[in-house]
Amino acid sequence: MISYRLTGIPVVLLLLFMQGCSTSPPVPYPPPVVEQGGTLPGEPARPVTPGGIQAQPARPTVTTSSPAVVALLGQAENQANTGNLEAAAASLERAIRIEPRNPLLWYHLATVKLAQQEAAQAEQLAVKSNSLAAGNRMQQSRNWRLIGRARQALGDGTGARAAERRARELENH
Amino acid sequence: MARRRKRGRRKSRRKVVSHRSLWSRLLLLLCLLLAGYVGYLDLQVRQQFDGKRWSLPARVYARPLELYVGRELTADQFQTELRALYYLPVDAATQPGRFSKNRNVFHVITRPFTFWDGQQNSANLRVGFSGDKVSALTDARTGRPASLARLDPVLVGSFYPAHNEDRVLLKLDDVPVSLTDALIAIEDRGFYKHHGVAPLAILRALWANVRARGVVQGGSTLTQQLVKNFFLSSERSLTRKLNEAIMALLLEMHYEKDEILEAYLNEVYLGQDGNRAVHGFGLASHFYFEKPLAELNVEQYALLVGLVKGPSYYNPRRHPERARARRNLVLDVMAELGLVDTAEAERASNRPLEVTKQGRKAINTFPAFLDLVRRQLQRDYRDEDITSEGLTIFTTLDPQLQWQLERTLASGLQGLEKGRRIEGGKLEGAAVVTSVQGGEVLALAGGRDPKFAGFNRALDAHRQVGSLLKPAVYLTALEKPERYTLATLLDDSPLTYTARNGTVWKPGNYDKMSHGEVPLYQALAHSYNISTARLGLDLGIDSIVATLRRLGVEQRLNPYPSLVLGAVEMSPLQVTGLYQTFASGGFLTPLRAINAVLAADKTPLQRYSLSVRAVVDPAPVYLVNTALRYVVREGTGRALYQVLPEGRDIAGKTGTTDDLRDSWFAGFSGDRLSVVWIGRDDNASTGLTGSSGALLIWRDLFRHFGNPGTSRTVAENIEYQDIDPATGLLADAGCKDAVQLPFIAGSGPHENAPCARGDQVLPNPVDWFKELFQ
Repeated sequence: MISYRLTGIPVVLLLLFMQGCSTSPPVPYPPPVVEQGGTLPGEPARPVTPGGIQAQPARPTVTTSSPAVVALLGQAENQANTGNLEAAAASLERAIRIEPRNPLLWYHLATVKLAQQEAAQAEQLAVKSNSLAAGNRMQQSRNWRLIGRARQALGDGTGARAAERRARELENH
Repeated sequence: MARRRKRGRRKSRRKVVSHRSLWSRLLLLLCLLLAGYVGYLDLQVRQQFDGKRWSLPARVYARPLELYVGRELTADQFQTELRALYYLPVDAATQPGRFSKNRNVFHVITRPFTFWDGQQNSANLRVGFSGDKVSALTDARTGRPASLARLDPVLVGSFYPAHNEDRVLLKLDDVPVSLTDALIAIEDRGFYKHHGVAPLAILRALWANVRARGVVQGGSTLTQQLVKNFFLSSERSLTRKLNEAIMALLLEMHYEKDEILEAYLNEVYLGQDGNRAVHGFGLASHFYFEKPLAELNVEQYALLVGLVKGPSYYNPRRHPERARARRNLVLDVMAELGLVDTAEAERASNRPLEVTKQGRKAINTFPAFLDLVRRQLQRDYRDEDITSEGLTIFTTLDPQLQWQLERTLASGLQGLEKGRRIEGGKLEGAAVVTSVQGGEVLALAGGRDPKFAGFNRALDAHRQVGSLLKPAVYLTALEKPERYTLATLLDDSPLTYTARNGTVWKPGNYDKMSHGEVPLYQALAHSYNISTARLGLDLGIDSIVATLRRLGVEQRLNPYPSLVLGAVEMSPLQVTGLYQTFASGGFLTPLRAINAVLAADKTPLQRYSLSVRAVVDPAPVYLVNTALRYVVREGTGRALYQVLPEGRDIAGKTGTTDDLRDSWFAGFSGDRLSVVWIGRDDNASTGLTGSSGALLIWRDLFRHFGNPGTSRTVAENIEYQDIDPATGLLADAGCKDAVQLPFIAGSGPHENAPCARGDQVLPNPVDWFKELFQ
């Protein structure tokens, strides 16, 4: 079995506990809020349509991971480090059951799939993570990098370069 | 002549010698043949015996309950789960499988369990509840908070995947002694003394039969009967009897009496359930009394023991008098031998048979869900994999949700029948509940009787879906933002369409009116047929078929215009798959009922991992889902909010078919998706629309879920604009009925509506959004 490390996890923990101490170019990263919570600080109150459907589009979907999810992420990392990728995937799926809309978890699952040589599924999972990470450019950028690697693995060089480009654009935005 | 004679004599002497050696050779050969034959029989009977003995059923488990602070779970639900796990309530928990409770705080010692990801040790936990949530979780030994804990999963059923056959396997220790005593008393009193055959018993039986000029007595030992059951055939020849006798002797040489008795209890033929043979006392107990064997009383044991002689002749459902006489005979014998006291036998003899009505009653707790599990197993396993015995199957079933669904469906249908004066029991229903993002089947109802193991409507009732198909039509349109937006006005004026072959199609609206020009989102919200038909014809039926294929619809689709209005038959599970793609924001997520399978030695065999495929761009899905929110806010689904809280985010669609044959509702909220169908098995009218039938059951079901937060998926290139619905143009403060609608960036209207006074338009949320992040 290949020894493998979930590259993202230390970054995650950093983000979770040390907001704003990133060494990468200053990415406007709002403080995480629990998804179900009300409005973001400073957010203008949105008008409500007569039907009562809040016309509120893409709000940055940054979620604080609950201790349960953090524990499962740690477990997944250990499992991946000891070469047990399938168990790592199972732990991440367990975490997704708890926080199904947390883009980070889908990203890590994608990383594990890539390590398992399932590049096509890795790409799909990264796309899924993107769909849940509206407004979270850092996560999106990482997803695109992963998509690039997955495409490379699938022999799609052009697609891989395009994905890399997207990743850089998101970083430099 | 003399020479000849001489020669002849010599020859004959030689003949005598050779005769003798021939005889001995023949005898030797015969002996060898016989030994070979016996060896062959020995092999056969041992194979059968060991095969049956080790043929352990696959054990099917529900999802394990995960515990963490903040999890939605009430103290009652938690206790129900513990009860389903047979955890023992005690004053002070000291060993695994026990719990104590002090107000809203439980002290639980979990059992160790082997999961897919390895052995999990027993945990000593304190779990606190407040409101509808887990509010505290600590390690009871250290007092330190625990981030996550997992109970062992509830066993929800067992089956042999290979034989497609349910069985309740008994260990001899689990069988009540009074049953085995009675069995031995009736069938084979010498069981513990003989060597497999009882010649005296055979002679006795023969004599009795001769006297009665017919077969009245068997004389077979239990061992012989067991052998007979191994090679079940109705043939009654002498060779067969002889074979059975030899094999019985062989069995007795190899195995202990108790092993033979245990095999007998699990193997003996005790009845016929349709085309399924009922083998063993465990299954028979469920088949005749719908109870586990341990819960039966003495006359019920007597009835089962009596059945051994002739399950068909003494069938208690078909021939209750014969069965009763036979049962009472058994009771008499039991009393005679002191297995039961005379007064008790007397009382028992006077009691009724108490067998339940015939029906394919399931021994499994959730037969409809298990049916799905079995099918998914059969789909993914080769036969030789399936026959690997003693599998452990971890499923996605959430028993809490399943119980809720069963209760809601049964009481909902009953309520509908009462309220609408429909003959009781006529309405049937089916429902599926899944997790939106993971595609896990959490609960499934195949009919209103949750214990019925027959026709599984959730999987096999293929019914017209009606308006449930409309979102696919609207998606096809909204994928062309240059042509269609939610504000595009659609023509709802009467339509007569003549196909190339001359057939005329005149779709009409449910309210028998046409509504002139209506904005696209309202046409879907109110489920207008005419405007949808026009839209579908405009888009082309082939493009709608293509959309449905992308959404994962696999069955035959007739590319006729009526397809647009739902002229296609689907099962509730298939509809769930279709809506899964909408709910998850454009990702096809295969519905899974199985998470993982372990081999008999608890090593991982296979895991069914989560997989997704982006099949539709998130932005148009976002638009369709917005329209589906209008369905429940102001369209055909608005009855939802009469009961559910205003703030709850729900998207859904009603479906009604011709003559009100089918009533459907498909909807999602938070991470839960559910499809409910109501109809009749004879396909007659239910008198219900989607709104007045299935929707009410869906509503009742979701009332029991906590507030699951948003179900909204987001798309980046979406912007909101204020729209005047009457014209589909830009609105401002001058427009009374303005609504904010999402548009794929740049596709919204540029012109102002007549009502607009040119005041400042409300700030565009997307602009605000961009400012924040750029």
